[in-house]
Amino acid sequence: MIKLFVNGEEVEVESGKNLIDAIGAVGIEIPHLCYHPALGADGNCRMCLVGIEDGRPPLVPACKTPAAEGMKVQLDTDKIKKIQKDIMELELINHPTDCPVCDQAGECALQDYYMKYDCESSRMRVEQVKKGKKIDFGCGVVHDQERCILCARCVRFCRRITKTGELGIVNRTDAARVSTFPGRPLNNRYALNVVDLCPVGAMTSSDFRFKQRVWFLKKEEGVCHGCSKGCSIFIDHHREKYKDDIIYRFRPRFNEQINGYFMCDEGRLSYAAENENRLVEPLRKGRTATIEVALEQAVKLLKRAKRTLILLSPDLPLEQLVAIQAFAAELGADCSGYSDGYTVTGDGDDYLIQDDKAANRKGLELLGIDTTAAAFYGKLEAADCFICIGNDLRKADRKKLAKALRDTKKLVLSSHRLQSVEEADVALPIASYSEYAGSVVNCDGFLQSFGQAVCKNVAQPDAAQMVHKLGGPLGSREEILTALKKVGGPLLAVDFNRVPAEGLKLT
Amino acid sequence: MDAKTEVKNQEVKILSAKFDIENANTLEVAKQHGAYATLDKLFAMEPGDVIEEVKKSGLRGRGGAGFPAGVKWSFLPKDSDKPVYLAVNSDESEPATFKDRYILVRDPHMLIEGIIICCYAINCHDAYIYIRGEYTSQVKILQRAIDEAYEAGYLGEKAAGPDFRIDVTVHRGAGAYICGEETALLESIEGKKGQPRSKPPFPAVVGLYDSPTIINNVQSIASLPFIIEQGAEAYASYGTEKSCGTHLFGISGHVAKPGMYELPLGLPLLEVLNDVAGGVWKGRKLKGVIPGGSSTPVLTAEEAKTVTLDYESMAEHGTMFGSGGIVVLDDSVDIVALVKNLIDFYHHESCGQCTPCREGLGWMLKIVKKILAGEGSSEDVDLLLELCDNIEMKTVCVLSAACTMPVRSYLNKFRHEFDAYVDKGAARKAAEIQE
Repeated sequence: MIKLFVNGEEVEVESGKNLIDAIGAVGIEIPHLCYHPALGADGNCRMCLVGIEDGRPPLVPACKTPAAEGMKVQLDTDKIKKIQKDIMELELINHPTDCPVCDQAGECALQDYYMKYDCESSRMRVEQVKKGKKIDFGCGVVHDQERCILCARCVRFCRRITKTGELGIVNRTDAARVSTFPGRPLNNRYALNVVDLCPVGAMTSSDFRFKQRVWFLKKEEGVCHGCSKGCSIFIDHHREKYKDDIIYRFRPRFNEQINGYFMCDEGRLSYAAENENRLVEPLRKGRTATIEVALEQAVKLLKRAKRTLILLSPDLPLEQLVAIQAFAAELGADCSGYSDGYTVTGDGDDYLIQDDKAANRKGLELLGIDTTAAAFYGKLEAADCFICIGNDLRKADRKKLAKALRDTKKLVLSSHRLQSVEEADVALPIASYSEYAGSVVNCDGFLQSFGQAVCKNVAQPDAAQMVHKLGGPLGSREEILTALKKVGGPLLAVDFNRVPAEGLKLT
Repeated sequence: MDAKTEVKNQEVKILSAKFDIENANTLEVAKQHGAYATLDKLFAMEPGDVIEEVKKSGLRGRGGAGFPAGVKWSFLPKDSDKPVYLAVNSDESEPATFKDRYILVRDPHMLIEGIIICCYAINCHDAYIYIRGEYTSQVKILQRAIDEAYEAGYLGEKAAGPDFRIDVTVHRGAGAYICGEETALLESIEGKKGQPRSKPPFPAVVGLYDSPTIINNVQSIASLPFIIEQGAEAYASYGTEKSCGTHLFGISGHVAKPGMYELPLGLPLLEVLNDVAGGVWKGRKLKGVIPGGSSTPVLTAEEAKTVTLDYESMAEHGTMFGSGGIVVLDDSVDIVALVKNLIDFYHHESCGQCTPCREGLGWMLKIVKKILAGEGSSEDVDLLLELCDNIEMKTVCVLSAACTMPVRSYLNKFRHEFDAYVDKGAARKAAEIQE
């Protein structure tokens, strides 16, 4: 730690950081547009110019200036305020100011800084510079060159993070614009991060474009279930009048230990599956039934069964897994976590994307649930009752499965209307991961807890609550947490009520 | 001896010694006239002594900034394990400047000899000559001279002794003014878009390929053979106490005898214009003088009477010595049109990297065009002046200042000409309404 002065007042800040980060960490904002901690300092926007008393030079870009012991930083002088105002004026003279139709409105650095640092009327009385609009950059990124302030964050992202370098700034002077090379659109699996990185509305996502005003969105902390990396995310959702609560987008949530500032496009767009093709009513052999009738039938089916096998989804959180384990013990049933189809060999990269698309395979391991194909098929052959919870049996051998299930009663608990739901004797709807609270362990052993984000008009119980209705012993959260404690091992040390937002490394 | 004959006779032949000799750009002729004669003396000296000699000579950077060359060299880190590079700035893109071109075309071996001296002094084995892309015929002459120097063994594996390699590479620009800015020049050599870097770090510490780098102007380097051959004192005997030596002055514009003149620093500007360059042409009156390239603030005819051609006097008169490219403006010059041309150039050449320059110069250009078209108001003229302040020194490099400094000088010294456009436009509009 070092001591320096900001506007004459002494503050203690971390050493080895630039002024924006060091002073920002103690709550003093230095406005900046081009600087981003993941992309380094470029120094092109000039919004972070600060005065250094007795300094040489006396005016420096804070992003490029390391915090130093005893430094006297001036932020509130008339000179600095004037510079901030002047830079904002220059940023805005050629900006279209089309906020009413701009997706960024409400989370736009230009809007925020205008209110905070400028607030003057326009003096622009000559023709503005005209540039390209709604340019398809590929990967679902749509670019507006007129809104662009040429901070080059997107360019630096493609050069430094994905190392694919699709973007560049062509031309000089006020004709400069961000562009792709002819015939070489964005082509990387993280491209949509440039939409988040863009401080203005120049980079928009064709998926989100014009769908929702951001100030209506409720932003809940969540964990991406797209793969076993479990990137920290924001779940941005909203219930329009007379409609259901739906998710509009996932955005990466900064987590130094897991995903940094970014997430992959596939995970980002996986929100759509939470809105679509949902199982909302119980089914009996493909036909709608009331929940009372369906539950009664399911209980009957379980009572008659001699040997039951429960197949669990590797996406289910620890809390639900342990409740289902207790239910299985009550039934004398076997549990399997067979989910080989969730692994796409060779799909992962050396950054965030993993081969394993399951959110909580490590959780299955911790609870000692067998995941082998041999055990699964072996027990399925012997079973006369099969309960499938959340597992979509993707890429499983359909013929082999059908043969094993020929004379088996099938009970399916599912959040989505899968084929297995239609074929089930009884299918019961359950909540999906954006609608319940839970904890998952990622591929690197980080345990993350998340709360319920979405509240559907007709809320479904989660798998733990549903098996409790079917006679499972664990009902309350306290009972479930006690059961998790009993599992022991790395989970023994976890206080599930106090898991930090950035997760907990299990040891 | 009266003042006139004094100034006239001051023309010297140090840098320009071989300018008028036929084929002096070939090694054969150049050697006949003393090229590479200093090398024996040089290699007998310690590199540190060479730096001291250059410091003593008072040679200042001839690219325009006038920073002492020897002092710049001594900024090189002593304990670096990285190679040291020399980049010779031959971009010469400042409007009204054409001195380096004379050296490249008429005496390239003087430049190569200077490079050898500099490389020896700073322990550099790789020198780059960054030459502006428009110098298409000039680059051929330069390259031929370099080839000759390699063949004769002045460059190459054993250039400065058995273990001292010197390689010189010519790197052509692609027509961007900004690549004359030293860090943009380095970016360009590295194969990147020519955009200035933030300083610090300075190139002497982190320069080309992240290594310590010295960037000197062609004329600075070309001055070295004389300093080594004749000694620092001989060089410093020319010029004034703080502005030592001679300079190539490219005098252009409305004079009777435009051209390239080598003069010691410190001569009175007006007398040089009248006695050396033949005075204002066509018997017209002097309106003003651009003292050292388009980016230097203008001097009025009145100011031109007292200024002398050296760094100190120029600064005292609120302008800069610059590149020695003197432009004479007669009384027919329309200052508003001149300012439009000026902003047009710097707007066109802005690299577009940082906000104030990228957006601001375009705005200024449109405002001055509006004034020129008779559509401007007094507020527009005020705004133009205010924008100069808002942009200047808020940028990564000094390109914006190269525009705003002279523009401010024209606005302050010739405001009445801008007002006249405003008034004429207002009167025309009033007449139109009456009709």
